[in-house]
Amino acid sequence: MKLAGLKSIEDAHDESVWAVTWVPATESRPSLLLTGSLDETVRLWQPDELVNRGKMTGHCLGVASVAAHPSGRIAASASLDSFVRVFDVDTNNTVASLEAPPSEVWQLRFNPQGTMLAVAGGGSASVKVWDTATWDIVATLSIPRPEGTKPTDKSSSKKFVLSVAWSPDGRRIACGSMDGTVSVFDADRAKFLHHLEGHFMPVRSLVFSPVEPRLLFTGSDDTHVHMYDAEGKTLVGAMSGHAGWVLSVDVSSDGAAVATGSSDRTVRLWDISMRGAVQTMSNHTDQVWGVAFRPGGMPGRLASVSDDKSISLYDYS
Amino acid sequence: MACVYIPVQNSEEEVMVVLDQLPKEATDIIDILKAEQASLDLWLIIAREYFKQGKLDQFRQILEEGSGAEIDEYYSDVRYERIAILNALGAYYTYLGKIETKQREKEEHFILATQFYNKASRIDIHEASTWVGKGQLLLAKGEVDQAFSAFKIVLDGDRDNVPALLGQACVEFNRGHYSDSLELYKRALQIHPDCPAAVGLGIGLCCYKMGQFDKARQVFERVLQANYPYCAMASNYLENHFFYTGQHFLVEQLTETALAVTNHGPTKSHSYYNLARSYHSKGDYDKAGVYYMASVKEISKPHEFVSPYYGLGQVQLKMGYLRSSLSNFEKVLEVYPDNSDTLKVLGHIYVQLGQTEKALEFMRKATKVDPNDSQAFLDLGELLISSDAGAALDCLKTAHNLLKKEGQEVPIEVLNNLGVLHFERGEFELAQQTFRDALGDGIWLAFIDGKENPPSIDANATISQYKDMGIFHHLEKEGHLVELPWDKVTALFNLARLLEQLHITETASILYRLILFKYPDYVDAYLRLAALAKARNNFQLSIELVNDALKVNNKCPNALLMLGDLELKNDDWVKAKETLRAASEATEGKDSYATLSLGNWNYFAAIRNEKRNPKLEATHLEKSKELYTKVLSQHSANLYAANGAGVVFAEKGHFDVSKDIFTQVQEAASGNIFVQMPDVWINLAHVYFAQGNFALAVKMYQNCLRKFFNNTDSQILLYLARTHYEAEQWQDCKKSLLRAIHLAPSNYTLRFDAGVVMQKFSASTLQKPKKSVDEVRSTVSELENAVRLFRQLSAASSLHIHGFDEKKIDTHVEYCSHLLDAARVHFKAAEHEEQKIKHKQEVARQLALAEEARRKAEEQRKFQLERRMQEDELKRVRQQEEQFERIKEQWKSSTPGSKRRERSEMDDEEGGHGEKRRRKGGKRRKKDKHSRSRYETEGAEAEMMDDQEEPEYEDANMNYREPMGQMNEQDEEENVQDPLAAAGLEDSDAEEEAALSTARRRRAFSESDDDEQPEHQPESSPVRENSAELQSDGEGREGGGDKLDGDAALDDED
Repeated sequence: MKLAGLKSIEDAHDESVWAVTWVPATESRPSLLLTGSLDETVRLWQPDELVNRGKMTGHCLGVASVAAHPSGRIAASASLDSFVRVFDVDTNNTVASLEAPPSEVWQLRFNPQGTMLAVAGGGSASVKVWDTATWDIVATLSIPRPEGTKPTDKSSSKKFVLSVAWSPDGRRIACGSMDGTVSVFDADRAKFLHHLEGHFMPVRSLVFSPVEPRLLFTGSDDTHVHMYDAEGKTLVGAMSGHAGWVLSVDVSSDGAAVATGSSDRTVRLWDISMRGAVQTMSNHTDQVWGVAFRPGGMPGRLASVSDDKSISLYDYS
Repeated sequence: MACVYIPVQNSEEEVMVVLDQLPKEATDIIDILKAEQASLDLWLIIAREYFKQGKLDQFRQILEEGSGAEIDEYYSDVRYERIAILNALGAYYTYLGKIETKQREKEEHFILATQFYNKASRIDIHEASTWVGKGQLLLAKGEVDQAFSAFKIVLDGDRDNVPALLGQACVEFNRGHYSDSLELYKRALQIHPDCPAAVGLGIGLCCYKMGQFDKARQVFERVLQANYPYCAMASNYLENHFFYTGQHFLVEQLTETALAVTNHGPTKSHSYYNLARSYHSKGDYDKAGVYYMASVKEISKPHEFVSPYYGLGQVQLKMGYLRSSLSNFEKVLEVYPDNSDTLKVLGHIYVQLGQTEKALEFMRKATKVDPNDSQAFLDLGELLISSDAGAALDCLKTAHNLLKKEGQEVPIEVLNNLGVLHFERGEFELAQQTFRDALGDGIWLAFIDGKENPPSIDANATISQYKDMGIFHHLEKEGHLVELPWDKVTALFNLARLLEQLHITETASILYRLILFKYPDYVDAYLRLAALAKARNNFQLSIELVNDALKVNNKCPNALLMLGDLELKNDDWVKAKETLRAASEATEGKDSYATLSLGNWNYFAAIRNEKRNPKLEATHLEKSKELYTKVLSQHSANLYAANGAGVVFAEKGHFDVSKDIFTQVQEAASGNIFVQMPDVWINLAHVYFAQGNFALAVKMYQNCLRKFFNNTDSQILLYLARTHYEAEQWQDCKKSLLRAIHLAPSNYTLRFDAGVVMQKFSASTLQKPKKSVDEVRSTVSELENAVRLFRQLSAASSLHIHGFDEKKIDTHVEYCSHLLDAARVHFKAAEHEEQKIKHKQEVARQLALAEEARRKAEEQRKFQLERRMQEDELKRVRQQEEQFERIKEQWKSSTPGSKRRERSEMDDEEGGHGEKRRRKGGKRRKKDKHSRSRYETEGAEAEMMDDQEEPEYEDANMNYREPMGQMNEQDEEENVQDPLAAAGLEDSDAEEEAALSTARRRRAFSESDDDEQPEHQPESSPVRENSAELQSDGEGREGGGDKLDGDAALDDED
């Protein structure tokens, strides 16, 4: 497996780029890249030349996460002012503006069926699930305090929820916390199942394998990528190599490779069977906050965004 | 007096050579022998005489001359003597090879010996003495079977050849066939009843070996009696024979005999020497020393016989009498100034005496004398490791190449040291390859190459992640051999350290576990695993691993120090202090790290309490200063102690002093890859900040963030924001805080601060006498954000997510809302104003347009008028012209060109003006460029200042310890870094303490005005002093109160 740089756009945003996702193709247009930035805008790019297809304002204090609906028609962005803005990708019309005070909003993800939007709720120690038809909250998945909590554990702030992921069948939601715990929920019954331990530093990104529904990948500030069997509650493996925090993880659609973005300014490609890095891309000059494989289809594409204000596109083969 | 006569050629005369008075220079005698074409047996006799006198060089010279090509040609038909010379040389080199301890030289001697014997064989293949010699050579080389064949050839031709029989007896003796050996000795004795006592000795020895002790004793007694009449010299030579065949017992017997019969000094000296050598080789250094000494006493000048001095030196060295040993080796060196063994030994002695310079001098000379001496390069390289890593690397590389060239195995230690040197120079690839060479094949390769991965473990039991040995049990179950030879442990440990450096920590952890799997007492491996767990915030596991180490050795200072550090991180102050004290006691107060840690503890304690008790604070500060100073007095270049001292100075307000210290520490720290001292950068930035040099402080914080933290440290971003705040760069401040929030989402203090800065920005914009609508508009949106942030914090406070006072937040909400109302009014006013202005502008524009139109109309009118006038004029002129033409026609003459010329002159002038203007413009541009470039250099300078990485203060690297192959010490060094960090006081309790410090910071922030210092965590803010003052300033006021006052003023303004 191999990555080859295709195109990079310097100064794609006016400030650090913090989020990236692929918007699936519709009948009228190909799939697009959606990026969010500290400059309070969300921008659309058309591959492979990364032609700017629009700049959308309406966010305050920096966009921390973006997610696209599987239909490719709508997308959502979460910003530091704790609003989620749902908008029409092609017209930039606001579809809904979501908030659930006092819970902040961090990573957000639509379920594969497109019926729900899960939002990592920060200090509320919960994941909020919104119905994409009515835009009502249908579930609050709260993380129970772990048993045998030491009295010295000061607060629930330790279970600050940063990241969220859906299993490919949409039946499981996993979320990552500041203290490194990963919590697994039954999505249908809105029920907490169990914790996965192993990290003791923030888990800012996690993703299920599209091929093996039980296999969960997590990236943490502890510089490691872990592979968990989310059902069997086992740590299958740990991969080290980054010199800094792992800020973002994504799995290729064939399930064979994992890409990570790190504060060490690199993008790494990992061979799951070898449990080791096979390639390191050093084109960014600052933290790499987001990596995203284009879902489905050939040719494979990987995008990365960075604090250096640039976005990069690679061929994955 | 023994003498020989050399017949003078073509005459009857003879030259008498007195054997006792042979010339010092062998060349003198060789000249005579050659000139007189003396018979070869004379050559032999003289050579032998030199040999007897211990003048080996002369002996060799004569024989080598006597076996040269010239002689071969001239004496081509003299076969026996030529063979005898060659055989003597062969025997001599056999002897040299036998006594040589170094493999390479030993082999060289044997090769020479072989060559001489082969040459002898070429003269006459059947010469029995040559075969006997060959047999002896093979015996010396330990090739017993081949020796057997050589002797057999002789015995097949002449079954009564005594030397061959003796040789064969020796072969059998060596094979352990004592009875066969005995038979052969007996036969030799039968054939030649007068043969030397050696035979008797052989018989005795066989009996002895066969357990027939009585018989052996009888034989020896007889031998000695029989031996008595023999001359001492003969017995000395016999000894040689036995010494070299390892039969020390006989040597001693014979020597005693020899000593009893002679009074001849040199002979006695040789006898004592032989005796000493025998004891020496048995390891009886006391006796050996006595006899060497006796031998030396018989010698008037070392030049006569230097060997005992060498032996005596060796024995004294072994027994630790360095000075005496030194003087004896120096005597040897006088005789053989280029003897590399002596040079090396002297080097070693000087190392042990602590005179490194002198040692280096001798080692260097040894490498120069013999540039192929791998051992000399190894010794020199190892000696250089502590002083000059680069040169050490070169030496070890040379040694490595020499060893390889010789086809010798390179010792693991050498490869390990090479690897460490590469490692320290940051040549990680080379280091890795070298460690791998050192390790060779083994189970570890499967882990290093990722072929074996640990099995899945319960995700709720990850507490045991780095203690899990499942992978090895699994491998053993599958029939693999999980082996780790002890001599490879160090190299494996170092490889794991290297992998850590390369961030391949999982593999490193497996290697450490492999070490522990085989050697559960290897404390350093526990500590590295604990460090790995600690780096990943897994404190419980880390503490467990440290405790495992303490189970092995409950006084291990490194383990205790690490435990203390972990306890500090767990906020276990009292425990931590106890542990650190225990560590300090374990090292008897000599360990800098322990002292430093206690210093840091006191520093933390001084600034930790929010309600500061000034007395207690002063006591702790004084104590910490005392401890830092103590370390500095022991190790004046300890960076961490210096940093700590700088912090204390800063605390006391001596910014200039602390700045100097920090700057020096920073420069010194940037030279070593194992020293990472972000704290000193932060401290320096704090000092700049405290001195009001915001631009430099910003730069320093930013560089530190980038260089050490991958821009991920939200605390430093907070410092940065504070600096921007002080510099009233509101937008930069806000951006820094937003980045910090993004990095540390659960730190609500940052949100609060972001709210405050937006509030401050808005207030200051509104206070501006002139503000555009855009400015006011952004003010409104900032205020809306601020209100939202504060409201959220207020709502979250009910969830006890953070430690803010709800009332305080509400005050902010109120204030911001109030400001927002005001801003909206302003906004309306501004909009109104703008409308008005727009209107006015419109009117003015209209007026201007009207005026323009009027002007244009006027112009038009004027133009028309003029044209009409012109036309009139033209008409008039034409009329006049016509009239004139008419007149002209009458005059027949005209001059129309002059007017045109005048006009072109004017054009020129205009052109000139234009050019001048352009030139002026050009000049200005140049000036611009100039000023810009100057600005750039300034920037570059500033950057250089920040990025200085040259380790100018090399002596400051005193923390650096000699690796000597063991990088384990680096552990400690690493630990030392932590305290350093601790001196800067970074770390997790920062997070934990956030609640405490937030209040302080909050107050600072909300008091806003000029002298606020937003943050003073214990972490890395040595400049707290400053803030303390400021705080007392603000203490009387209610947070936000003066803000409200300002607001009132604003209202008035409205």
